[in-house]
Amino acid sequence: MSWIGHLVNAVSLGVVYGLVAVSVGLVFGVLRQVNLAQGEVIALGAYSLWMTRDLPVVVRILVCIGVCVAMSLVIQVIIFRPLRGASALTTLIVTFGLSYALEGVWTIVFGTNGQPVSMLSSLNQVVVGGNVGLRWITLVEMGVGGIFFALLVLVLYGSKIGVMMRATAEDFRTARIVGVRIDRVVTLAFVFGGVSAAMVAILFTVQTPLVTPTLGFNLITLGLVGTVLGGIDRLGRATAGGFVVGFVNSMLGAIIPQELLVFLPMLTFMFVIVMLVVRPAGLFTPKGSNVERV
Amino acid sequence: MIPLLRLDNLQVTYGRVVAVKNVTLEVNEGEAVCLVGPNGAGKSSTLLAVMGAVRSRGDVFLRGTSTRGLQPEALAHLGVAMVPEGRHLFDTMSVKDNLVLGTLARRRGRTPRIDERWVAELFPIIGEFASRRAGLLSGGQQQLVAIARALLSDPDLLLLDEPSLGLAPVAVDAVFEALERIRAVGVAILLVEQRAQRATDFCERGYVLSDGEIRLEVTEGTSEDPESLMAAYFGR
Amino acid sequence: MRSKFRLVAELVGPLAAVAIVTVFGSTMSIAQQGNVTNILVTTTIVVALYVFTGNSGVMSFGQISFVAVGAFAAGILTAPTLTRQANMPSLFKFLSTTQISNFDSLLLGAGLGALFAFLVGVVLLRLSGLSAGIATFAVLEITYDVLSYWDKIGPGVMPVVLVPVTTTLVMGALGLGVAIVVAFAYQRTRSCRLLRATREDAVAAQGIGISIFQHRLIAFTISGAIAGFAGALFVHELGSISTGQVYIDLTFATLAMLVVGGTGSLWGAVLGGIALGVLESFLSNAENGVAIGSWHVTLPNGLSVVIVGVIMVVVLIFAPKGISGSHEFLERFFSHRPAKAGTGTEPESTAKMTDEESSEVPLSPRPTS
Repeated sequence: MSWIGHLVNAVSLGVVYGLVAVSVGLVFGVLRQVNLAQGEVIALGAYSLWMTRDLPVVVRILVCIGVCVAMSLVIQVIIFRPLRGASALTTLIVTFGLSYALEGVWTIVFGTNGQPVSMLSSLNQVVVGGNVGLRWITLVEMGVGGIFFALLVLVLYGSKIGVMMRATAEDFRTARIVGVRIDRVVTLAFVFGGVSAAMVAILFTVQTPLVTPTLGFNLITLGLVGTVLGGIDRLGRATAGGFVVGFVNSMLGAIIPQELLVFLPMLTFMFVIVMLVVRPAGLFTPKGSNVERV
Repeated sequence: MIPLLRLDNLQVTYGRVVAVKNVTLEVNEGEAVCLVGPNGAGKSSTLLAVMGAVRSRGDVFLRGTSTRGLQPEALAHLGVAMVPEGRHLFDTMSVKDNLVLGTLARRRGRTPRIDERWVAELFPIIGEFASRRAGLLSGGQQQLVAIARALLSDPDLLLLDEPSLGLAPVAVDAVFEALERIRAVGVAILLVEQRAQRATDFCERGYVLSDGEIRLEVTEGTSEDPESLMAAYFGR
Repeated sequence: MRSKFRLVAELVGPLAAVAIVTVFGSTMSIAQQGNVTNILVTTTIVVALYVFTGNSGVMSFGQISFVAVGAFAAGILTAPTLTRQANMPSLFKFLSTTQISNFDSLLLGAGLGALFAFLVGVVLLRLSGLSAGIATFAVLEITYDVLSYWDKIGPGVMPVVLVPVTTTLVMGALGLGVAIVVAFAYQRTRSCRLLRATREDAVAAQGIGISIFQHRLIAFTISGAIAGFAGALFVHELGSISTGQVYIDLTFATLAMLVVGGTGSLWGAVLGGIALGVLESFLSNAENGVAIGSWHVTLPNGLSVVIVGVIMVVVLIFAPKGISGSHEFLERFFSHRPAKAGTGTEPESTAKMTDEESSEVPLSPRPTS
């Protein structure tokens, strides 16, 4: 494959992890809490695509979005409502436990070996062959990711509810004092988080058509790493961080020699540690920028 | 007559620290009342407790109904607005967005006596920096925006926490001029101030708070007795 | 007087619990004894986790890396040299020829665990909160990856096999006992007390000149030593080790034990390890089929993880200080006089992870300036 091919692939994996970061970052923005179980929302979305395999594609996509949003809301009600005000770390650990429990559920219900999801397999075909190796899915992925993010920005910056969400993210207490109905904002963050999770489920399974019980956990760990790396307290930065992790992971995979490929996780996480140590506040957080958030 | 706001034996504690020991006071419809006292007397905690923003014991009645268990946003929607200490504008957002947030708590089904036009007339200067980021304004400008934000909900009761803190004398004058006009349309005001003189001059009635307790109630008749005021202020 | 009794109870309580479990275990079948030994070894890892997380309030997802290093070093260096040369031909020369005793391998495990933890700590312990969590998780991933694929230091994707089995029930109990004594002794030091103070209020602690970094590093290194030691116990219990056994599953299991027991106390760590350990071994038995009365029940594979996960979630939501309340053994008995103030080292909150004392209703997650 040519370097263009690698680059395009890296961008598309970056988009997937960028979307994972969006779904974590939205909830974090409003509540300052981490939802690791968002990975299992993605997993259930992917399984729903398998369960609806005989239905038309449009229906499958809609079901997937519905399932992800519903599960996201259930998690909000049973986990996050009782944990209001708990630290990011507490919720991280609680949702770590929940993820593990759900992974067990997937194993029991869907089996250990995974289920094949064939959807839109025509998208997996090559647009430009030869040494470029560009596939349709890659283009679609970038398009969908771009449109979704643009829509999100539009909502956040162009609508009343967006203003409310940003206000809550910036100053929780004052937002309540001016009359922002916090429960609605939180619910909405979980709805958007669920929609982004559905996006990830769809895009990822088209690219890698096998759903295993560990799918969600694997996606969310790297996604969360990216989110923290970018700077979890700002949606834009978090998304960029997710993108960078996906991109770097894919690029490293492309450039290191075949026999060293097994050490890809090591290199990726080395990169993570170096970045965390060098820029603890986030890759894209300007130095000394605390001033603006006091 | 039922007072607009009545605090009955209000107490606020943070962990083991008692911030408000015992506060009983009333604010009537359309009345301006001030709460003065030294730093750490429990003035801000009292306001936050009225707003439901800190946990408290004792009773808070709004128009005769207890507000126990109500969240801050519910109180905002019942016609209580607050200008918090230090203004707490949403710094990264534009002044316009800050003001949009102010309108959220407007009550449905009644024509607001205070609306965007009224506020624009009150603070014509805000129009000049409406599109700037709130965090970039001067302290005086921020204070005006914070008051405007609170007013846009068309409240019956306005809680003001140290609106003159850190402002230049000219800016303080501007704030009190605005308060005068706000009172004139019938909005009740509960004003917390460290600058006792200015506050008591402005208000019909006042309470002196120190160490979390009401030491003295000052009405127009007694306000000419600065000595007892000062004694309560620094006393014990 | 009282405080002396209390101190004795703080050490004797956990040790007595271990002794009781061991005595019960010794009356069981050989197969069941293996399960009990496993509980004891796993609890040793939980104690290691506690020494850092409980005292510092910083969550680490990386402590299992030190267990892994201890287990692999001890396993490789005590396996027969012939087996090593056959199964791990690419090993560095000194790794393939050096032979040490099982006892020495426990010390080696502890030493390597401490060394590795020290090196990791120097780099990472200036981070805290979420970043520290992510960074320590990265250490786990790196350790797993390197141990799994670098065949000069290990067996690669194959397990280390034919490791002499010497961690019997009694040895497991002794090992855990040693870990408890070390954790207790560390808790008595000035360094640990200062560390606990930083947990309560990091800013104030730094204000009076406590070096958070230095005291965290000490705790992290001791924790690493106990973890490496536990790893060596572990490999001599199983007789073999593969990287998958010292990875995320074990991280989750031990973390669940710690938080269910109560992050803030040694007693909680031991209690959680034993309680969840017993439950897990019961459940995994049931997954292979178990007779309850005249019923023969076989639970589906994976159910034990679901149950443990749910317990962890429920405990953290409804009792964030764990089943011990993050109190030491009998601590409440000795201190039921109202004021706990003054002792200073009391675990007031579960490693600063809860916020229940705050009277702020809207629970602003950020301090307002």
